[in-house]
Amino acid sequence: MKCGAGIEARQVNELFINVDPIQAGGRLTGDAIKAIIAYGDGYSVCDNCRKPNRLDCISKPPIAEFHKDVAAWLGMDAARMMPGARRAFQAVAHTYVNKGDPVLLTSLSHYTEFLAVEEAGGVACEIPADAGHIVTPEATVAKIDEVKKKFGKAPVLAFIDHVDYQCGNLHDVTGIAKVARENDVPVLCNGAYTVGILPVDGKAMGVDFVVGSGHKSMASPAPSGVLATTAERAKEVFRTTTIEGDVTKRRFGVKEPELMGCTLMGATLVGMMASFPHVKERVKHFDRELENNKIVMEALLSIDGTKILSEYPRKHTLTRVDTTGSFDRIAETHKKKGFFLSSALNDKGIFGLIPGATRVWKFNTYGTTRKQARYLADAFVAVAQENGMKIGA
Amino acid sequence: MSKRAVDLIFSTTYLLTDLRMLLRETAPTHELDEKQKAEAARLLENLERQVSSLKQEML
Repeated sequence: MKCGAGIEARQVNELFINVDPIQAGGRLTGDAIKAIIAYGDGYSVCDNCRKPNRLDCISKPPIAEFHKDVAAWLGMDAARMMPGARRAFQAVAHTYVNKGDPVLLTSLSHYTEFLAVEEAGGVACEIPADAGHIVTPEATVAKIDEVKKKFGKAPVLAFIDHVDYQCGNLHDVTGIAKVARENDVPVLCNGAYTVGILPVDGKAMGVDFVVGSGHKSMASPAPSGVLATTAERAKEVFRTTTIEGDVTKRRFGVKEPELMGCTLMGATLVGMMASFPHVKERVKHFDRELENNKIVMEALLSIDGTKILSEYPRKHTLTRVDTTGSFDRIAETHKKKGFFLSSALNDKGIFGLIPGATRVWKFNTYGTTRKQARYLADAFVAVAQENGMKIGA
Repeated sequence: MSKRAVDLIFSTTYLLTDLRMLLRETAPTHELDEKQKAEAARLLENLERQVSSLKQEML
């Protein structure tokens, strides 16, 4: 079925259980799909844009109210919707980082955090994760001391992932922010995998910025995200324009340079808004998501030779496993080679594993129903059994 | 063309969206339990009524 010339209608989430690690939390709610149908036209949210002519001030549809609600929900004072978490990293880095400035990242940081630092001219200084793939306050202190010795000053900013994309491990942002504050280092909490998935309170964590990803974790269309901050930092990162044309003497009111005036418009923004009440509710029930993940994890670990590389018991549904000792052994002799696993799972109605991966791979059970989690668990075991693998207790 | 016809276009699309969500929740087998079957029946009946009204408005 086509939805445009040469464009196949995507039916992945209707036909399969989707465990793609980056897609699970971004699947739309029914209300978001309905909002997109109504607001698909380009400048659809601008029908009632009045002075001061800025997106986050529009009251019909209730965009201004949404911005306030999101800020309060994240325990912060101000928020702006962004075209993805990466644009929030960029705005913050551009505000605080000058050429040659040291910036704290971690050995598990997402590449877009590095690029934001690079674009601003900063120097990436990684806090190493420990053997269990966890970034600790102790390692942060050690890195700050190392940076001070090398650069003669403290890092100007720290990007700390709440849950990292590599292992899906939960890091002690509160503890890290405490030691960062003691050294006057502003902290950006990258909540790309937590904002919209589990409760996040920026003030309680003691961070300066909370960044979320709409399309990764807030049941929103891409590209979407949020940058929330304190009243103090808002004056800096959401500063208004001061430029003036030398011929026309034009000035541009309350437009914010880091946001290029107005950011997230139309269907993307309204989709985010429509999902928001559901997102606020679902974060209260993250325990159910962990229970579903446990059902799948126990099934996977029952397959002889399978190991988990993420922290265990799980604190997040994004999980990294090592099946070198199980599925990869089958791949060695299977006629489909490493593609046998994703192919067999596809045949059972499961989508999201990287085709060809049988050694180290990730999956995310977020958003599955209990029935789907059990189906998923049974499917992994069935694929193992069909290929003569041993199932333990 | 009437405002009613436009409203019906949206409401029918929304009913189809609710049915779509039901398919997502029950993928990949789409085996509906009794509660889900009752919900699907309600949506489909409503959809038929709205399409019938739409025919009257547009034809």
